[in-house]
Amino acid sequence: MTDQVLEALQTSALARIQASASLADLEAVRVEVLGRKGTLAGISKEMGKLAPEEKARIGKLLNTAKQSLEQALERRTAQFEDAALDSRLASEWLDLTVPAPGIRPGSLHPVTLVQKEIEDLFVSMGFAVLSGPEVETEYNNFDALNIPQDHPARDMQDTFWLEGGNLLRTHTSPVQVRGMHRLGPPLRMIAPGRVFRNEEVDPSHEHTFYQLEGMMVDREVSVAHLIYFMKTLLKGIFKRDVAVRLRPGYFPFVEPGFELDIHCLLCDGAGCPVCKQSGWLELLPCGLVHPSVLRMGGIDPEEWNGFAFGLGLTRLAMMRYAIDDIRLLQGGDLRFLSQFGKASN
Amino acid sequence: MTGALDVTPQELGLLITVKTAEQEGVETVGAHLAMVCAARVVQVDPIAGSHNRKAVVETGRYGRRTVVCGAPNCRAGIVTAYIPAGCVLDGRTIEKAVIAGVESDGMLASGAELGLNRDAAGILELDVEECKPDSIIEIDNKSLTHRPDLWGHHGMAREVAAILERPLRDPVDLSVLPQGPGSIAVSIADFDLCPRYSALTLENVTVAPSPLWLQYRLTSVGLNPINNIVDVTNYVMAEIGQPMHAFDAATLAGETIHVRRAAAGEKMQGLDEQHYTLDEQALVIADANGPVAIAGVIGGLSTGVTQTTQRIVLESANFQAASIRKTSSRLKLRTDASMRFEKSLDPRNTRRGLARALVLLEQVSPGIRVVGGVSEATRELSAPAPIELRLDWLRRKLGCDVAGEKVRGILHALEFQVEETAPEVFRVTPPSWRATKDISIKDDLAEEVGRMMGYSSIEPRAPLAPVVPPPVNPERAFLQKVREVCTGQGFTEVYNYSFVNPQQAGELALAAEDHVRVLNPISSDQGLLRTSLLPGIVKNIRDNSRHLENFRLFEIGFEIHKQAEGLPTEALHLAAAVYSKAGDGVAGLMEAKRLAECLLYGAGVRQTEARPYEHTVRAYAVLYRDEVVGRVSELHPKLVSAGRAAVLYLDLERVREVSIVEGTGSAAGRGSAGGVGASIAAATGASAGTSTAAWVGEKYKPLPRYPSSSFDLSVIAGERVTVAEVEQRMTSLAGEFLQGIEFVRQYVGAPLAEGQKSLSFRVTVCSMDRTLSAEEIASVRARIIGGLEQAGFELRI
Ligand SMILES: [Zn+2]
Repeated sequence: MTDQVLEALQTSALARIQASASLADLEAVRVEVLGRKGTLAGISKEMGKLAPEEKARIGKLLNTAKQSLEQALERRTAQFEDAALDSRLASEWLDLTVPAPGIRPGSLHPVTLVQKEIEDLFVSMGFAVLSGPEVETEYNNFDALNIPQDHPARDMQDTFWLEGGNLLRTHTSPVQVRGMHRLGPPLRMIAPGRVFRNEEVDPSHEHTFYQLEGMMVDREVSVAHLIYFMKTLLKGIFKRDVAVRLRPGYFPFVEPGFELDIHCLLCDGAGCPVCKQSGWLELLPCGLVHPSVLRMGGIDPEEWNGFAFGLGLTRLAMMRYAIDDIRLLQGGDLRFLSQFGKASN
Repeated sequence: MTGALDVTPQELGLLITVKTAEQEGVETVGAHLAMVCAARVVQVDPIAGSHNRKAVVETGRYGRRTVVCGAPNCRAGIVTAYIPAGCVLDGRTIEKAVIAGVESDGMLASGAELGLNRDAAGILELDVEECKPDSIIEIDNKSLTHRPDLWGHHGMAREVAAILERPLRDPVDLSVLPQGPGSIAVSIADFDLCPRYSALTLENVTVAPSPLWLQYRLTSVGLNPINNIVDVTNYVMAEIGQPMHAFDAATLAGETIHVRRAAAGEKMQGLDEQHYTLDEQALVIADANGPVAIAGVIGGLSTGVTQTTQRIVLESANFQAASIRKTSSRLKLRTDASMRFEKSLDPRNTRRGLARALVLLEQVSPGIRVVGGVSEATRELSAPAPIELRLDWLRRKLGCDVAGEKVRGILHALEFQVEETAPEVFRVTPPSWRATKDISIKDDLAEEVGRMMGYSSIEPRAPLAPVVPPPVNPERAFLQKVREVCTGQGFTEVYNYSFVNPQQAGELALAAEDHVRVLNPISSDQGLLRTSLLPGIVKNIRDNSRHLENFRLFEIGFEIHKQAEGLPTEALHLAAAVYSKAGDGVAGLMEAKRLAECLLYGAGVRQTEARPYEHTVRAYAVLYRDEVVGRVSELHPKLVSAGRAAVLYLDLERVREVSIVEGTGSAAGRGSAGGVGASIAAATGASAGTSTAAWVGEKYKPLPRYPSSSFDLSVIAGERVTVAEVEQRMTSLAGEFLQGIEFVRQYVGAPLAEGQKSLSFRVTVCSMDRTLSAEEIASVRARIIGGLEQAGFELRI
């Protein structure tokens, strides 16, 4: 008879566990059936009256029922806990597209960005990065660069003259002379910086702009080396092979001197308004360092040779970001300046 | 140019560019002349009620034609130029037309209309067929500053002959010059200023217009035909680069031409009718009475050739380049002659000029006769110094293997003398016209050989250079760090000018006299070099506060400080500003302080006495390792009246010194990692990409020039709708005037239902070409609202 009671009890308890809707329901079932004063405990107490054989048999049945109910309770509890976690996670949905609070990053000036790109390229090729003052002596800006008094080359550069006989440097070339004295041969150096020409400002002219001067001095430096180097440099800058053309150009501090033209980046040489239909863009004046300039830098031109070149950083920045009005660069307008050097926007 | 060469003008232009000097384009002149023909005027009849007349002309080539002509000299019997209908003249097509009731088939033309000369007074009365179509190659004269020999066609012809490997014909025959003493004496006071002066006297001169071919040639190179005598001097200048001048001999006083410095205050009226007052720096040509020409610049009016001149003194001289350049710039008078003299012309060319002019004058002024021989004063002209050229050196310099014969051939074609003094060693003597300053050392010869071989024929070779790490540049690394930290903290970089004006300086209590003064500023408000970055920063704050409510900006630049002697000192500074239109300014000051802390680990601030441009009680010194390296302060309301601006101003030189004393190398860095990663990623991300298209691809958004307007919209959305989603929808709905959409805030709670939120956005619109009307703005707003509602959103209005 106890057998039937036990079985019925087990069946109904399992059904209740399965049907429970919450952890509280489960706890009620556990207390009622498995608790110290629960149904199973009651049956266990009554077993004292039974014969020893019968007692052992019922005791075993009782244990089995207890284990099976405990397992069912445990499974059901785990189910409830999983569901609770799922529901908590679900409630934590977040719209990460809401702008992050706090300050938005600022941006770097377009010339800074281009300058850094090019400086990094030169540093990777073993060049030192030097700087020189913006206010220069007439000697450093002209005489030491083989541009004597009354030389027509001084006509080409409208100079800002300062009290005391000094001037605002018209090119970064004076750093060549400073660099030769500082580093001694052999040397590889660049000098980026701000230069000045006394010119009225309009969309394509500025009195303040940026150049990068470069120089390499070694025992063997030839025109062939210069051409190779310039091609490599341009490939580094433009991230692809660029067709170049070297033609005679006159700069007193180099001999021979060249104008290096590149195939127009917009039309690839076919001719367009930007290159005035010629297919070429004048990009880079360069040449072998004039022996007088080497001498002025304390270097013996019979032993050492060199090449030098100048890159217009402002011009490159304008090409790079398709900036059509040079005045924007010094205008300080954050609506313009904040458009550069960010991952998006 | 003539058609005698077997290259096209375009091809030749390109060759000149890559071997000699930059050409700026090829222009065809006189193309219409191919259609123009001579015509005899057969009959002329008046047209009633018109100043025009009806002319019947016999053209030969086009048969008999009737034209309407208004020229006063149109009369039966003359031979003139006929332009048929269909001919294009200066871009205008000549068409048959009815003028004053008469059909005109073509036209009769003046010299000016034909582009032959500048004569527009009447129709041409001559034979036009000696003038042929031709091409002009324009050369950029800035690329010729070092080549005096290329300031005449003959010099350029020499280059062309060398490029095309063709013989060169010299137009000059020195043997035509008469022997014996000259009829006038020449006296040179200083041979440094005038190494050589040659002159020739001619009589029985007839002054008349030049023949058409001569006028045409001068006109096509941009020189004005004047009369046959002056035209010949200009022709010789254009042809062989020797400026010349003709005096009316009857107007010269005395028997001697003096070349001397002007006396202070001496006056002369030039051929341009301007009065010039000279100083002792100027060189003049003078007769017994005073200056008759400013040497190398301009002739005098009173001694010039006129219609009545019968006897002339022809001057062909050489002057020192520097002296001519100074005089010409002092007088602000650049002439065709002065431009040439200031390039250092060859003194040997003076006699060549006379010889060439003599031959031409005999053609254009029949009956002209020389009087005596060449009058001349000269210093002994030294022969150009030979240059030793070792071929192994040349090959190393060019980096290519060029044969000795090739080198010799190139130099010969350019008229250098080449002598092989030892195997592979040349002794090279430049021609006199290249020796005035252009060619003096072997490197100059390397250029001659290189350019004529063609630089494109030199195989590029990798330089052999030791692989060594470049010297480190701590300043560069430091500045990069500063920039990264600034952008990471939300500051955007600006560049300001190095120039300020006294008023800007005054606003910041900087004395104008402490600034280095620019002697020739572009404008008076750019007359001083900045001793502080703050004037520029204040301007940036004022300018940007007109468009923006909040912003942060920074600049790295030099303060330039005057020194008692020598170069000024240049000190690198950082200026960073935080601006906010609203608020009490506390947040901005905190931010400025935080930037200092991010840049300089362990930096702090201490209250300090305010400067006149600072908020009276909000000025703080920035302390780094117990040293003052800068300041944080709020700008005084009198500088920034609307809103508040906090500024961090750091002396980067001082920062570096303080860091080095402590022996830590780079000053910035520690503790400044926040935000740096993002900005580096952004910078390199922009430079990545494998094509040039990507390199040039980042076009900036043009700035609006008209005021923009904003309105706010609050969208009620389901719990799981994202801000980005709504923003995208709004962007696509807004249309062309949209400038930007900014997320403002989100709100959850009453009175919204459970599971709903409200998202607020600020929409800014503007037009690139006008100010938007209230209706236009409203229609954008309505379109966005309509679209959102259609998509199931509710709006809180
Ligand atoms: Zn192009």
